[in-house]
Amino acid sequence: MNTMTTAAVASSPVETFDERLRRLLRWHFDPQTGSPFWLRQRGLLDFDPLRDIDTAADLVRFPDLTDQLRHVPVGDLIPRGLTGTGFRVYESGGTSGAPKRIVDRDYRRRLLSWAMQRLRAHHIADPAHWLHLGPSGPHVFAYDCARYAALGNGLFHTVDFDPRWVKKLVAAGEADTVKRYVRHLLDQAAEVLRSQPVKVLSTTPPLIEAICADPELHAAVERNVETIIWAGTSFSPESLRQVEEVFFPDTTIVGIYGNTLMGVAPQRPRLPDDRHLCVFEPYAEAVWIDLVDDDGAVVDYGQRGRVRLSLVSDEMFLPNVIERDTAVRVEPVGDATVDGLAEVGTVAEVGDVRVIEGVY
Amino acid sequence: MAGIVVEPIVCGRPVRSLDRAPLVDVRGDLLGEVGTAPRLMAVGAVTRARRSADGTPVGHDLLLRAADLFATADLDGETPQEYERRVALAAGLPRVTVRNAVADIVRSLTHLPATTRAELPGTRLGDGYDTAWVPAGRLFTAVMASNHPAPNDSWLHALALGYSVLVRPGTREPFTARRLTLALLAAGLAEHRISYLPCERAVGEYLLEAADRGIVYGGSDAVRRWADSATVTTRGPGRSRVLLDRPLTDEVLDHLTVSAAHDGGTRCNNISLVLTTGDPRQVAAALAARFDALASPEVSAPDATLPVVDAARAEGLRRQLAGLTGGGAVVHTAAGADPLVRLPDGSHRPLPTVLSTDDPRHPAVGVELPFPFVVVAPWRRTDGTAALGDALVLNLLTDDADLRAAVVADPSVRKVTCGLTLPWDGAPGIPHEGNLSLFLLKSKGVVTTGARDHALA
Repeated sequence: MNTMTTAAVASSPVETFDERLRRLLRWHFDPQTGSPFWLRQRGLLDFDPLRDIDTAADLVRFPDLTDQLRHVPVGDLIPRGLTGTGFRVYESGGTSGAPKRIVDRDYRRRLLSWAMQRLRAHHIADPAHWLHLGPSGPHVFAYDCARYAALGNGLFHTVDFDPRWVKKLVAAGEADTVKRYVRHLLDQAAEVLRSQPVKVLSTTPPLIEAICADPELHAAVERNVETIIWAGTSFSPESLRQVEEVFFPDTTIVGIYGNTLMGVAPQRPRLPDDRHLCVFEPYAEAVWIDLVDDDGAVVDYGQRGRVRLSLVSDEMFLPNVIERDTAVRVEPVGDATVDGLAEVGTVAEVGDVRVIEGVY
Repeated sequence: MAGIVVEPIVCGRPVRSLDRAPLVDVRGDLLGEVGTAPRLMAVGAVTRARRSADGTPVGHDLLLRAADLFATADLDGETPQEYERRVALAAGLPRVTVRNAVADIVRSLTHLPATTRAELPGTRLGDGYDTAWVPAGRLFTAVMASNHPAPNDSWLHALALGYSVLVRPGTREPFTARRLTLALLAAGLAEHRISYLPCERAVGEYLLEAADRGIVYGGSDAVRRWADSATVTTRGPGRSRVLLDRPLTDEVLDHLTVSAAHDGGTRCNNISLVLTTGDPRQVAAALAARFDALASPEVSAPDATLPVVDAARAEGLRRQLAGLTGGGAVVHTAAGADPLVRLPDGSHRPLPTVLSTDDPRHPAVGVELPFPFVVVAPWRRTDGTAALGDALVLNLLTDDADLRAAVVADPSVRKVTCGLTLPWDGAPGIPHEGNLSLFLLKSKGVVTTGARDHALA
């Protein structure tokens, strides 16, 4: 086993995010323990990360380096202090250019154990066998769900799903081929459901829509599946209401916001005073999310802002990442220490006035 | 929130959607908000409509009652005057055009039985031999544009013939389809027969895929995907044109002006191209003098006759026109190459515009814009009929009988008008763009001769 953490990163139970940040900055920028990637960057920074970064708010001083994750050899991302093997490589969706790559060994296991507790707070089917009708291959979503299934002592069924191929087809206007590919995905799912006692379905909003548009498959899912976990893209508020009230009134529906870089932020259980059907809560131990306006200022509660996040773990340090997502900022509730995110959407495409053709 | 609230109607019942979109008018003011239907609401509407759809034709009495309510009634708090005002402000359509369109729709519903009869071949083929014309499916989807209310008569036609209908209204102008839906329900239409779903374009595409027959209106971009579809018929840019092969008299100029500028140039059959055997500049100059005399009060005034657009569309038009007026094209109208005028209420009026070019292949030839806009270009007999084609309407101002025969035979011309006939003139059954009844219905033989005259007997 090479899953030890060094003394330098051992954490005390009462450590705050800022204390953890300062400790892990020393780790990532120490020539003995830091990654070749960050040690190279240190000389390029116009400040001293050990002296000048004190709190999460200071992380904006770092440039957003995630574009470099599209081409840097991933081995350079592994901190020297973490000797041994067992790192996995994951890739982002790859919608805009080459995908971004990250490495992971233990961080995600810790994250997913926490996330599974969050899912259990919704009373998901557990223990249960899972069917993952979602991206596989280099995409982290399938790995995450396999882990949840394992934590719940369940077996894990998968299908082959390459979302980049779908995106290419959509971009090329090949609507009919997209339809056939989606049909192929649904057929694989239907085949598993026909004979396997699956109780949890993990999938994406577009595939839930496709299931609902197929009365037979919809009936099969409704009959067999007790919990649907959705992630990958967003649901509009009315879409989510349709899923919960019209299509799957007797099924537990739980959303997970997340991406390859930061990890996952499962939906928290709904409270009577909630203004939103679905509020996501990030992993406070390692992820710092601000929702910001165009000037980078944090928006007020109830306002929509763009997602700016930092990931601070012993395996990866990704400060000041500006995402394409926007969300509404929601006040923390109960024992949560971090803001919630609601109504996640992507930044509206900036306005080229479209060509007016004909009288339309 | 103040202002107008438009909600989806799923199988006859209004649904309050959690997804909201602001409805901003041509002045840039908030007119109200639209509850939009996400894909799953559309999926639910399709599933429920299909479960109940029975293919029963809708009685003409009901349609006539609906037409009357549409034209005269207070529907969900909307009077006919308020409807007119809403369409004018939301889509920038002149109020006279909206009134004309209401009359068009009422007329179309009134004539529907005659239209259908005229569009279908006879069915009594001898004693015991009949052809039954039956709906080719059960669900019909209409994806509407916002340029003009009148095309909504297409889905009324489908409804009358037995389809259950799903309508996606225009994004800028959701009012006409809504008012028709409310009128039909008030007239007693069974709820499951009609759903009204303001939605994103992608959801509209889903509705077209999910239906058995459909129609989609819009620019080339919106209709391209369906160009070769057997189940979806498209209504794209009309590129209606005139062949001018006779002396330019006052009478001809009046005719060209009305053909281009009636309804503010917003119809797909308004002409946008004059091909002349004479001197294009001379024709354009004379037409420009007529265009410069066209004037209109602001779009919400009861006697408004010219359209306006919002600031974003004005900017788009300005850029497009800038791209068209180079390369040897001459602008003859007084406002010049930038005819977009900002009005005091914040809307923008594209002033009627005439261009000429000596090059029949100039990029401006075949461009159709949503206001009185005409390009004058040369045509010589040696050019052949190809340049006359790809038109919704071709108006022939010529005495050349051979040419007339050639364009009548040309499949890319969908309607031919001769002499000083306006492009939209027709009688029930005269194809506007193809034959909708044949698109919607299937024929089958019904033979009830029994053993009589049995061939093997």
